[in-house]
Amino acid sequence: MEPVKLTAKDYKTSVPIVWCPGCGDFGVLNAMQQAAAALQLPPENLMVVSGIGCSSRIAGYINSYGFNSIHGRALPIAAGAKLARPELTVWAAGGDGDGYSIGTNHFVHTIRRNPDITYIVMDNHIYGLTKGQVSPTTPHGDVTKSTPQGNPERPLNPLALALELGATFIAQGFSGNVKHLRDLIVQATQHKGFALVNVKSPCVTFRGRQEFNVIREHGVYLDESHDPSDWNQAHEVTQWTDKVPLGVIYKIEGVPTLEGVAEEARKKALERRSFESTTELIEVFR
Amino acid sequence: MRDVTLAIAGSGGDGVITAGDFIVQAAARKGLHAFMLKSYGPQIRGGESSARIRISDRPIYSQGDYVDFLVVFSWKDFNRFLDEIQLRKGAVVLYDEADTTPREEFPIDADLEVEYIAVPFKKMAAEEIKVPLTKNMVALGVISELLHLPLEAIKDAVMKKFGKRKPEAAQVNLQAIDLGKAWVNEHLPQGTQIALDAEGSGEPKLVMTGDDAVAFGAIHAGVKVFAGYPITPASPILEFLSKWLPHFGGAVVQTEDEIAAITYAIGASWAGKQAMTASSGPGIALKQEAFGLAAMAEIPLVVVNVQRVGPSTGIPSKSEQADLFQAIGGTHGDVPRVVLAPSDVEDNFQVAVEAFYLAEKYQIPVIILSDQFLGERSETVEAEVLFARKRVISRQLAKPNDLKDYKRYKLTDTGVSPMAVPGMPGGQHIISGLEHHEDGRPTSSGTLHQVMSEKRARKLPLIAEESGFVRVYGDEDAELAVLAWGSSKGAVREAVERAQEAGIKVKAIVPQLIYPIPEKAFDEALKGVTRAVVVELSFGAQFYRYLRAYYDGLPKETYSYARSGANPLLVSEVFDTIKEHAAALGSLQEA
Repeated sequence: MEPVKLTAKDYKTSVPIVWCPGCGDFGVLNAMQQAAAALQLPPENLMVVSGIGCSSRIAGYINSYGFNSIHGRALPIAAGAKLARPELTVWAAGGDGDGYSIGTNHFVHTIRRNPDITYIVMDNHIYGLTKGQVSPTTPHGDVTKSTPQGNPERPLNPLALALELGATFIAQGFSGNVKHLRDLIVQATQHKGFALVNVKSPCVTFRGRQEFNVIREHGVYLDESHDPSDWNQAHEVTQWTDKVPLGVIYKIEGVPTLEGVAEEARKKALERRSFESTTELIEVFR
Repeated sequence: MRDVTLAIAGSGGDGVITAGDFIVQAAARKGLHAFMLKSYGPQIRGGESSARIRISDRPIYSQGDYVDFLVVFSWKDFNRFLDEIQLRKGAVVLYDEADTTPREEFPIDADLEVEYIAVPFKKMAAEEIKVPLTKNMVALGVISELLHLPLEAIKDAVMKKFGKRKPEAAQVNLQAIDLGKAWVNEHLPQGTQIALDAEGSGEPKLVMTGDDAVAFGAIHAGVKVFAGYPITPASPILEFLSKWLPHFGGAVVQTEDEIAAITYAIGASWAGKQAMTASSGPGIALKQEAFGLAAMAEIPLVVVNVQRVGPSTGIPSKSEQADLFQAIGGTHGDVPRVVLAPSDVEDNFQVAVEAFYLAEKYQIPVIILSDQFLGERSETVEAEVLFARKRVISRQLAKPNDLKDYKRYKLTDTGVSPMAVPGMPGGQHIISGLEHHEDGRPTSSGTLHQVMSEKRARKLPLIAEESGFVRVYGDEDAELAVLAWGSSKGAVREAVERAQEAGIKVKAIVPQLIYPIPEKAFDEALKGVTRAVVVELSFGAQFYRYLRAYYDGLPKETYSYARSGANPLLVSEVFDTIKEHAAALGSLQEA
């Protein structure tokens, strides 16, 4: 009997969606569900881990083993899960505040460890759940509820940061182009190692509907002239100021993964010495 | 003498701890009971360090109040341990004759009538062995000869450490030991020997630190993922597991911070594998939010806290029992949890097993409250004792029937709901730190919050009734009881024995399970007790106050003996406390 082919619908849940009408995150949710279908991922073999924020609610909206955890900690939970169950697919998701502010330390070090997980950041340049404060990616000078005189700080560049840290897959998508974003998530999931998909996902409530138009106007889809294996080209793209790069910016294969390194360590340990049972470990105390 | 306490004081490069390790291992090989407490200053290298070793043919539970035999490489360094090294009257003191600081600069109380012996440790090492660093081995030879420790056992221990990797170093060390031994026979009259007149059982014992024991216990219990961040005095747990867990199919990550360490463990446990993290007070403080997540999401988790002196950075290398309130009340919200406390090195192993047993069975986070005094001391241990208590460790997983219309937080009589783990078809669901419905969907309903709070709390009385968590030492029918927890047990147990020898009827009650209070076992242990004293190393008397607040069964006459930590609890101070309360009770025999 032919197995039933999974469609995007198979990844929907009955959890009521709390996002504002017109929120960019709907596009990301659709793209993730379509990507899961494109990859034919059995829902039981998919873990979706998020932190806290509007976008982090997404873990409950995808038919999977979902974990809407605590603020900033999606990555270590996701990496811990992957380490425990390397055979399963792990997606981490969240917002720019979650990943690039309170969770920055984990962003930095998860990249170094390179677990085979995909990290989808819904970057809306604002704290939405707490109703409109400045975020780490809010443009310099923007007025927000916590910066009435304009944002005094310069925004963090997550793509450049990831590249400098040695991320093995870096892409940027737009929630207004679900098909393109779906393809990026598919490639990110297929990539063996840590894959960052930063998604421009506008907050219509606190930054206005025109955010979609800003991305449409400034977005540039990378074509064949961009070689994602070329670090210097990738670096140049991450430094664009008046254009928004969309597509796979950088990608290298063959870098050891967190769980791969752990598996190697187990093999080497057993070659050195194998124990019939844990009680035999008393030998080291004699 | 059948019970000797020896102290060696020097600077970091003197090899004090190494010499101490060899002595303990030699004693263990002879089947003697041994106990070693290391102490050191804040310097990474070159600071003062001391090893305090007690050896006996009877079981020993503490470091020994008084030192019978002292070896000083440097009087300046010795001076920094004056607080900790109290000499017995007539103690023998060996010191290096080449010490640049004359001993007169740090005079020992003349009333103690100590016997001084100048030994050319440094000179022998430099001139005869040609390796000045071997002066600790020369001293080891002197000590083993004076204590009548079997030279063969000492040499075995040296060979075990250096034999394979550095055969030349091993040879040099052995020569130095022989030199020390010969020096004693040539230069000291027979009378100066403070021979250890203890044969030992002949059955070799194991030598283990508390940190290694808790790590080994975790491996024995089936831990598969450990994540930790370096911190004194918990780092040896991370190091031990890094070395050995891969042999048992597990993985270790040294994370970027304490929060990542606990969240890695939470992720791994959620994914279906037993997981643990370990730290000390400051790190445990950082983990609190995630600890609450494990409680809310009902994820099995084991968190070890090797307590050190606080608050804040405190005294990182010394022990205290003042993280009890943090363990019981840390993190926001009404948080069901389990707090277990080991009381010696063997217990560190057993409590690790118990922690996984409870965490997995009840899907609840468990804190192991060890401390520096337990974690960093070495003790002789018997293998049979380690494995004596058997536990079946298993998580209640969802069965096919549960997976039809699966509810992760299904309301049950026990509060425990069958858990679907990733990979189980049909078990998909959402979990979170948010309050939730039975199926995991978030809610902000106050009614559901009450229902779910009750569900999570239903586990606690069941845990409190699990057996074997309260130990009683001494006279079962005593009217006077000492209540203690954790590493205080050692001094308390010896003090109770001493009191019994002095004709005082007393017992000690030491729970392994601190929270929830094992009420029935406490009631049983306190039957007939009319007066109790709670002994602890917490300036704020946290255990006393905790028992007062959470337990109704204390005798009306319950008192507190509490002081701050850093200096270990002495048998004599507990004994004096017992005497005082026995006198008040009117049961002190005229003797």
